Amino acid sequence: MKTMEVRLNVNGEAKQWTIAPGDLLLDVLRREGYFGVKRGCEAGECGACTVLLDGKPINSCLMFAAQAEGADVLTIEGVAHGDTLDALQEAFLDHGAVQCGFCTPAMILNAKALLDRKPHPSEEEVREALAGTLCRCTGYRKPVEAVLAAARESAR
Amino acid sequence: MNSPRAIVGQNVRKVEGVKLVTGGPAFTDDIDIPGLLYGKILPSPYAHARIKRIDTRKAKALPGVHAVLTYKDVPRVPHTTAGQAWPEPSPYDTYLLDNKVRFVGDRVAAVAAESRAIAEKALRLIEVEYDVLPAVLDMEQAMAPGAAVIHDEPDSKGIYDASRNIAGYILRGIGNVDEGFRQSDRVFDREYRTQRQQHCALEPHITICWLDGDGRLVIRTSTQVPYHSRRQVAMILQIPVSRIRVIKPRMGGGFGGKQEMLLEDICGALTLAARRPVKIEYTREEEFYMARTRHPQILRMKMGVKRDGTILASQLTVVATTGAYGSHSTTVQGNTGSKVLPLYRAEHMRFECHVVYTNTPVAGAFRGYGCPQGFFAQETLVDEIANELGIDPVEFHRQNAIRLGDIDRLSAQLGEGKEGLPRVVRSCSLPECMDRAAAAIGWSSKRKALPSAGHLKRGVGMACTMQGSGIAGIDWASAFLKMNEDGSFFLQVGAADVGGGADTVLSQIAAETLGVSLDKIVITSGDTDTTPFDVGAYASSTTIISGGAVKKAAEKVREQVLRMAAKMLETTAENLTCGDNRVTGVGKSATMTEIALHAMYKQKTQIMDGASHFNTDSPPPFCATFAEVEVDTQTGKVRVVHMATAVDPGIAINPAQAEGQVEGAVAQGLGYALTEELVLDGEGRPVNPNFLDYKIFGAKDMPKLTTILVETDEPLGPFGAKSISEVPINGPAPAIANAIFHAVGVRFRRLPIRPEDVLRGLREKGDLGG
Amino acid sequence: MFDTVEAFYRPGSVREALRLLQDGKNRARVVAGGTDLVVEADRSIRFLIDITHAGLSYIRRKDKACVIGATTTMAAIENSPAIRALAGGILARAAATCGSVQIRNMATLGGNLANGSPAADTASVLLALDAEVVLADAHGRRKIPLNEFYSGLRKTKALIVEVAIPAPPRGGRWSFQKLGRTENDISLVNAVAGLQLDSKGRVKWARIALGAVAPTPVRAVHAEKLLVGRQVDESALAEVCDEAAREARPITDVRASAGYRREMCRVLVRRALEECAAGTGCSL
Repeated sequence: MKTMEVRLNVNGEAKQWTIAPGDLLLDVLRREGYFGVKRGCEAGECGACTVLLDGKPINSCLMFAAQAEGADVLTIEGVAHGDTLDALQEAFLDHGAVQCGFCTPAMILNAKALLDRKPHPSEEEVREALAGTLCRCTGYRKPVEAVLAAARESAR
Repeated sequence: MNSPRAIVGQNVRKVEGVKLVTGGPAFTDDIDIPGLLYGKILPSPYAHARIKRIDTRKAKALPGVHAVLTYKDVPRVPHTTAGQAWPEPSPYDTYLLDNKVRFVGDRVAAVAAESRAIAEKALRLIEVEYDVLPAVLDMEQAMAPGAAVIHDEPDSKGIYDASRNIAGYILRGIGNVDEGFRQSDRVFDREYRTQRQQHCALEPHITICWLDGDGRLVIRTSTQVPYHSRRQVAMILQIPVSRIRVIKPRMGGGFGGKQEMLLEDICGALTLAARRPVKIEYTREEEFYMARTRHPQILRMKMGVKRDGTILASQLTVVATTGAYGSHSTTVQGNTGSKVLPLYRAEHMRFECHVVYTNTPVAGAFRGYGCPQGFFAQETLVDEIANELGIDPVEFHRQNAIRLGDIDRLSAQLGEGKEGLPRVVRSCSLPECMDRAAAAIGWSSKRKALPSAGHLKRGVGMACTMQGSGIAGIDWASAFLKMNEDGSFFLQVGAADVGGGADTVLSQIAAETLGVSLDKIVITSGDTDTTPFDVGAYASSTTIISGGAVKKAAEKVREQVLRMAAKMLETTAENLTCGDNRVTGVGKSATMTEIALHAMYKQKTQIMDGASHFNTDSPPPFCATFAEVEVDTQTGKVRVVHMATAVDPGIAINPAQAEGQVEGAVAQGLGYALTEELVLDGEGRPVNPNFLDYKIFGAKDMPKLTTILVETDEPLGPFGAKSISEVPINGPAPAIANAIFHAVGVRFRRLPIRPEDVLRGLREKGDLGG
Repeated sequence: MFDTVEAFYRPGSVREALRLLQDGKNRARVVAGGTDLVVEADRSIRFLIDITHAGLSYIRRKDKACVIGATTTMAAIENSPAIRALAGGILARAAATCGSVQIRNMATLGGNLANGSPAADTASVLLALDAEVVLADAHGRRKIPLNEFYSGLRKTKALIVEVAIPAPPRGGRWSFQKLGRTENDISLVNAVAGLQLDSKGRVKWARIALGAVAPTPVRAVHAEKLLVGRQVDESALAEVCDEAAREARPITDVRASAGYRREMCRVLVRRALEECAAGTGCSL
């Protein structure tokens, strides 16, 4: 089988991986131990595979790993600041926004991307940011409240 | 209600919460196993066929393939896949692999290979010759003379009448409905139809099996029913129960779809054949049509009422299809009668149901378990009756709904396939639930006059529903606690947290009972080797039944702690109380740590104990669902503006988690009402097995949600708890249908209510456009 | 499953991309965002050519005209001040409805066109704006109108490199309407309208395009002609919307029936025209 190398940053660490040219980023990330990136539909519909690529949320199930060459990738494993949880993570826990937790990494990453460029979003903007992440457990209400609360918290 | 509680009733953070928000390895697939093989099932392309010839030689010869199985390679053991207590009330009509296929997606063969790509290639190399048979796709045709017989095999058991494709038949009643209808001033008779809904848990079904160092089969799987699965796999693979271990890690949702032994048997068989670990993970597409769905039903509901609105008689006649196999066939449909009709205090009730086989995806357990179908029919009919009689629907409910102290005699007739036990309503705040949800939606003013702008018409509607909390006399659980040196306790429960917070709630119950802080409870759940038995997560049983076992076990352990402390403090246990991680008496106290050390190293005794628990009744949680909708009369689209849901869950052990359960159930109910349907074509093939065309509600679709908990104190539940996770899914469909009627005067009796249906209804009424 | 892919390339120029395409013959496929290609999962692909670094991500304004590089993402288009200022921002609106934020960060304008889906939201807007597609192949570049591109779709081996939008007529008011089953959805029907009213409120010119109701997006040219010279009143709207619906050739699928789609043409065109006439669509 033909292989190639891909070089990228994941959660601030330089990585060099041997991959097959047709490998998808989701598969490679999970293979390399980033279990927080989830497989939900493999068609870009559910968003569970979301990672931030150069700060922007993308569906890693639709991207070839080779396309991440030279990019900065952030997965949920890189959101906390060492042992300190990010305001979003704390807010999700405090507001009962985590039920089964399968979509939680994707929600937090999408919310983080939003707050990084828009620190005071409206509820509508938060829902737009979460619209590409399907959740079957929460009805979305508490996750939206958690994001708004984290925004308020960070503003202080 | 009792004295203020330290932990029960508090919105504590989920005990596994940090792991979940940091993406720690929590779920079944979050593990690296050396030598893991990829398993895959070859699905049938036909809805109904015999396998005339199957040749796996080319597949076996493909490099990287370690096992290929057909019906010739495995034992033929009739069984049900339904996760139910033994002996399961569902027909034993399923085989690990068979020489007949009964729906598009049915198992033809299975392979295990070194990679997904090789497994997929191996499937393509399996040569199969089918003898295609006529397919029965329509449930009304299934019983007709001349319909192809789906289960013509002689060795299946428990099928009501295989020759007519009837998996199950139910007939129950109280009183005499014909007499009741005779005495009625008005009789209403309507037909309703509900669709095939899919669970769409974000984590698909996934099972990993391996043989451990002792040659035992270890099954790591996303399951609501670890113990039932263990028992069933043992029977199917013909190995002793003690040689199997089932481990349930965190689950990414289940909703009933995982109250099933779905992949464990085939994965285990591949592991035994390959002598290597094997993983089978459904793709999203496979998840839609090769897992389970809700039972579609045709419901004929008839109610007789007096002029003043009193319901005298209610009769529900149902035809349901269970798909190709009878998993949960009589029990789901039993609920459609037993949990629905008794919401009202009619003296005469009759429930009759035929559950038929069709060559379609298999139906099984799904949150609500027969109630969403039944309540759609009943609550829509009741709304129609109230409107006809000129009675406000809320008043109609107040007049007729079951009350505190009532006895539900229909339930005595319908248990899990057996004679059940009569239900007594020992806790009920339904009237207050109605009041508060009505107020939240603005019922009185909006019922009279709603602002409507041109082509946009608004309306409000409501529904009342109930469910159960565990299956009386059948669901049972156990718990075990042991104390550690640092004053903490390991809590071991067979309960299976599906993601709804069971581990947290059970820990809270233990902590409260023992008088320790939550961080002093370390819970292990759902491992058949290390945790005691639990039927699993279904029938809204975990808080009340598993929690009941936890409370009992904790009480026994507390007793040991007190007696140990009494020895240490030279007093008697009666003079001591637990709280704040210590035991306190008059002028003396000892910390839990001190007591533990004393027990372990001075008394040389392990403080530990366990308990089992079941209830002989199933206290209903109650729910009032109010909806405000806006109908676009040009496009037919129904926008739900506001859903107000008031629930009586008994005491909410963790109110935030409970509210989250309500809101998630409402979201599923919204999809059931308006957008979700797994569609099959004329050959029985799924047309929309993906999220692009099977539409579930997303963050931008949700209406404003008001969630109200109206707590009561249930004597049969730990700290007064009942349940909450199913009941709120029952109300949205009828509440929305009723609100649409209020908005535009068109009555819908079929789900989902799509924009085209609304437009057609408006046209027929002659009421199109602004 | 792309286990049969032998090589992945990321050319730094269009010339290099074309050479690779030529060398790979039928087994080479261009990939940008991957949002269609990966879902299609074509097992015959042997060579992937990622063109996102070939210098095709740009949005440039030339006077009131615009050119957009083929690998410009929907998110970039949605957020671009130049595109928001163009024709009442309808292209930005359409791009904003092309799937979730994750999809829009990956999906490209070129990909949306190359996929040839009749439901492509940007396609109907581009058709209404008389956009042209710039194709490049071994023989050089050529510019063709969008509807010609559609009629020759899939027969060409050329690479889409740019979409050129001429300056819209001055004084136009524009509207983009989309109907889906849920908020995040592929179009069941979409409609684009643009018009200009004279001092007496009569239509000087009109453009109407429809998406998801024919094998390709459609300019409802007969409906456009019917509207010219008239007031945008009830009878004009009724006639024009009926005509637009007649120019649609919708199909029945699991998403909607043909009859419903045709009826929604009528509704969406009306809403688009009303929005233009009321000035609630933005003007240039």
